[in-house]
Amino acid sequence: MIKLSSIEKSYKTGSQSLKVLKGLDCHIKKGEMVAIMGSSGSGKSTLLNILGLLDGYDSGEYLLAGESMMGLNERNAAKYRSRFLGFVFQSFNLVGFKTAMENVALPLYYQGVSRKERNKRALDYLKKVGLLDWAEHLPNQLSGGQKQRVAIARALVGKPKVILADEPTGALDSKTSYEVMGLLRELNNEGITMVVVTHEQDIAEMCDRIIKLHDGQIANV
Amino acid sequence: MFNRDTWLEIAHTVLSHSLRTALTGVSIALGVFILVVMQGLGFGLQNGVENQFADDAVNSIWVQAGRTQLAYKGNQANKQVKIRENDVEALFAEMDTVYAFSRRIRKWGVQMEHGDQVGSYAVRGVDPDHQMLENTKITHGRYISQRDVDEQTKVVVLGQTIIDEVYQGENPLGTHLTVGGVLFSVVGTFNDPASRWENKMAVVPYSTAKKLFRGGRDKVDQVILGTGDMKIEKTITLTDRLLGWMKERKSVHPEDARGVWMENNNEEYQKYQNIFLGIELFIWGIGLLTLLAGAVGVANILAIAVKERTKEIGVRKALGATSISIVGLVIQESLSLMLVSGCLGLVLGVGLLEVVSPYVDHEYFQNPQVDFRIALVALGILSVVGVLSGIGPAVRAVSIRPVEALRDE
Repeated sequence: MIKLSSIEKSYKTGSQSLKVLKGLDCHIKKGEMVAIMGSSGSGKSTLLNILGLLDGYDSGEYLLAGESMMGLNERNAAKYRSRFLGFVFQSFNLVGFKTAMENVALPLYYQGVSRKERNKRALDYLKKVGLLDWAEHLPNQLSGGQKQRVAIARALVGKPKVILADEPTGALDSKTSYEVMGLLRELNNEGITMVVVTHEQDIAEMCDRIIKLHDGQIANV
Repeated sequence: MFNRDTWLEIAHTVLSHSLRTALTGVSIALGVFILVVMQGLGFGLQNGVENQFADDAVNSIWVQAGRTQLAYKGNQANKQVKIRENDVEALFAEMDTVYAFSRRIRKWGVQMEHGDQVGSYAVRGVDPDHQMLENTKITHGRYISQRDVDEQTKVVVLGQTIIDEVYQGENPLGTHLTVGGVLFSVVGTFNDPASRWENKMAVVPYSTAKKLFRGGRDKVDQVILGTGDMKIEKTITLTDRLLGWMKERKSVHPEDARGVWMENNNEEYQKYQNIFLGIELFIWGIGLLTLLAGAVGVANILAIAVKERTKEIGVRKALGATSISIVGLVIQESLSLMLVSGCLGLVLGVGLLEVVSPYVDHEYFQNPQVDFRIALVALGILSVVGVLSGIGPAVRAVSIRPVEALRDE
């Protein structure tokens, strides 16, 4: 599903160039649930940026579902994002002034789905994560675990092939963390490839495989 | 881009940040309001003064005599200068072309009787061109003709006030009116809304007035000269030349401002036109700067809003929003805020002027209203400013790297 070969990426800070990813190779198969670990500065977020098509890379090759992602323009990146990828974030990043249902429906808005259809599908996914009764609530009326479940529903609503979860349990207590991981695992069992970035060993161990990043390279596959 | 969903999205964003929206809206509405009200006041002033000029023809030079201030050629100061009929004829000979002219004499407090109604009004003796030079609007009948002046006919043209008071609704045309004990035929009526004085006048031929009300004395109160389509610069040099010539003829010191004086309406009007141009520029300047201040406020608030919404915009991008849709969102938000609050300011400003207008009636201030075109220009400027002030924040919004915005490390 995801194939990275010799990915290099450097950032310019003033006159200096900082090389963050130094020839990274990695292969994530369809239906796999993979954890990415690494200390801060290891290139985790850069890798996630690139995987999520939110940033480009300097050299190497990134194949997403067999298609090259080299030199995508904004519009195409947005198109692939909404077609293939779903995002789950540490701090949920729900839009504060939109209800749970509207938050879930947001990706469909950018896909040009009609309002009625959007809301219908959003409700389906809220039901899937067990929050149908909370559809009309604003994010600040929900608990952390509920917010993350809304965020997962939002990641799912565009029917992605891959879900990229950036510290999905970072802001949750351990009980809720396990529930969320359970939900992600359940979705993975339905065939969605899952990439979880985390620094918690126990969370990582709930995945099929751990990829460790160290200094911009894969330390141990 | 302008579909229902986009508008819902904008309405949603705008309404869920009510304080921010209200502050921005107020600053814009205030800017437009001030622009509109100032324009209205400027127009009121202009209308008022132009109305003053509507009293007399703009293209005219007025010649008058008074008491001298300076001794000259053996004459003491404080001597009353009199313009004689032969002076007027010599004056005409001095001019290359006489486009129009009227001599003018006046007698105050002349008793006028019709039936059992009596009143005391002024009589004015004039030449036929006086109608044009004084901007008199004939409502019925005719004005004094050259034949009237030549033959000293006893005809009178009455101002509206006399008609109202002496005739009380009766049609005065064709009737007879006793003016200072002499029977006159009423041949015409006029109404001069710009001048309350004029309407209390009975206008008769110059020659008749001279004979009956001035005892045949050869003294012209005023001479009015029409300048036709002469250029303003030419009328100024003409006035200067005629004044010098006239002072010399009447033995008035060249520096004397009172003995003989001429007023060039062309020049006066031009002066006011220049003043109005100045006022207009000033008003636009202030209005535009106020709008600009409002726009800077909007840009500022939008910039803060974008900062505040960094995460939200990051999320939107991660969820499939393109840069264009984000820029569109911010600019459309800015534009709609501008236009809605701008229209509000416009309506309030125009409304205030509409409400106040009927109560304002001063000689120099009338009809304070805003030209529709100015309202459109203001809206146009607002739209441009709305887009411009949205661009900065929008570009910022687009340059946000989603994952960085979304991580909370």
